[in-house]
Amino acid sequence: MHVLQKHDQIVSGIDWSAKSNQIVTVSHDRNSYVWNHEGAEWVPMLVILRLNRAALCVQWSPNENKFAVGSGAKTVCICYYEQENNWWVSKLIRKKHDSSVTSVAWHPNNIFLATTSTDGKCRVFSTFIKGVDKRESKAGTSDSKFGEQIIQLDLSFSWAFGVKWSPSGNTLAYVGHNSMIYFVDDVGPSPLAQNVAFRNLPLRDVIFVSEKMVVGVGFDCNPMIFAADETGIWSFIRFLGERKISSSPSKHGSQGGTGTEFLSRLADTGTFKFFIWDHF
Amino acid sequence: MARVEGFVEADNAEAIITRIEHKSRKIESLLKQYKPVEALKTALEGSPPMTRDERCKSANWIVVHRALMAIKDVEGMFASLDPEYYDILMKYLYRGLSTGDRPTCEQCLRIHEKLTERAGLGCILRCLADTVNTV
Repeated sequence: MHVLQKHDQIVSGIDWSAKSNQIVTVSHDRNSYVWNHEGAEWVPMLVILRLNRAALCVQWSPNENKFAVGSGAKTVCICYYEQENNWWVSKLIRKKHDSSVTSVAWHPNNIFLATTSTDGKCRVFSTFIKGVDKRESKAGTSDSKFGEQIIQLDLSFSWAFGVKWSPSGNTLAYVGHNSMIYFVDDVGPSPLAQNVAFRNLPLRDVIFVSEKMVVGVGFDCNPMIFAADETGIWSFIRFLGERKISSSPSKHGSQGGTGTEFLSRLADTGTFKFFIWDHF
Repeated sequence: MARVEGFVEADNAEAIITRIEHKSRKIESLLKQYKPVEALKTALEGSPPMTRDERCKSANWIVVHRALMAIKDVEGMFASLDPEYYDILMKYLYRGLSTGDRPTCEQCLRIHEKLTERAGLGCILRCLADTVNTV
């Protein structure tokens, strides 16, 4: 077992890249480290994020050549590796956010980044970096330059968290602190948004199980499943922890506080990695 | 938090207040016909959302309050009230509870208990979190 010790304050975000086997961590101490497994050790490399507030979240891009950091400084840092100097460079998206950036999510095309913020809005930016990303010949992405806002979604009147793209990148889902979850199809010039209200305490994060199914976790400590029907209408299906009448009681754990049990089973499949804010 | 845009100006407020007065007459007639649930629906419909004008909000509150106090059978009311009204009703219940007036608070608490059973904590959250569309 390894202990990766370098940060001075709470480690607020962590992501592990599957192919390049690097771990990136960000912390309230405004720093970020990229950890490389060399031999028996995990060796940290400091990334100068140039933040004057805490870093809140981090995610590797799909091609693992960039990572995005959301911060309390109302900025998003996009970091890429510069081979000549053997260090990670941070480019900041300073515009547009009015408040802390709570969550970031990469589109499969490695260029679009969705962010949610405590100003209630969800935004999509282009993070095209010359020399790192290849210019696509499609007309849609040809005029996006770094930091340009593609779309701004103003669906929530309260803090927004937990944005994720569907596997194809066609749909975006994020949650609001007002016990609502928002689904946006055809993200682009004319998006189709759906606001789904539910009975329970607010969610904090979501994950796409498939193109049409989402699991949300939050303050109820009880993961919720949402799905889209054939017409594309999203709605709440059931809680993850609900048992069918026929199954034996010894197979499942007790109902209360077992959000983590079920999610650890999901995590074993290797396809999911997400976080529950257990301390609430 | 979210920036707010497109708020109603003073002259539009007059139009809204006229509409509310018109609604009030309709509600009185519905109450006379012993249809308190219909009266409540009419009162809740078209509640002026994006307005900072306190007169509009107070005018609508008076109308909603009239309909709320006329409800005797709370369970029966929920049987015929559509779920789309739950969030806005919850906001008015909290406004009622904030008045401190004994009969109003008793009625609001009675309805609040049943509404929370039906709509869940999410409804209360939406009411508290929405600082833009206040009533």
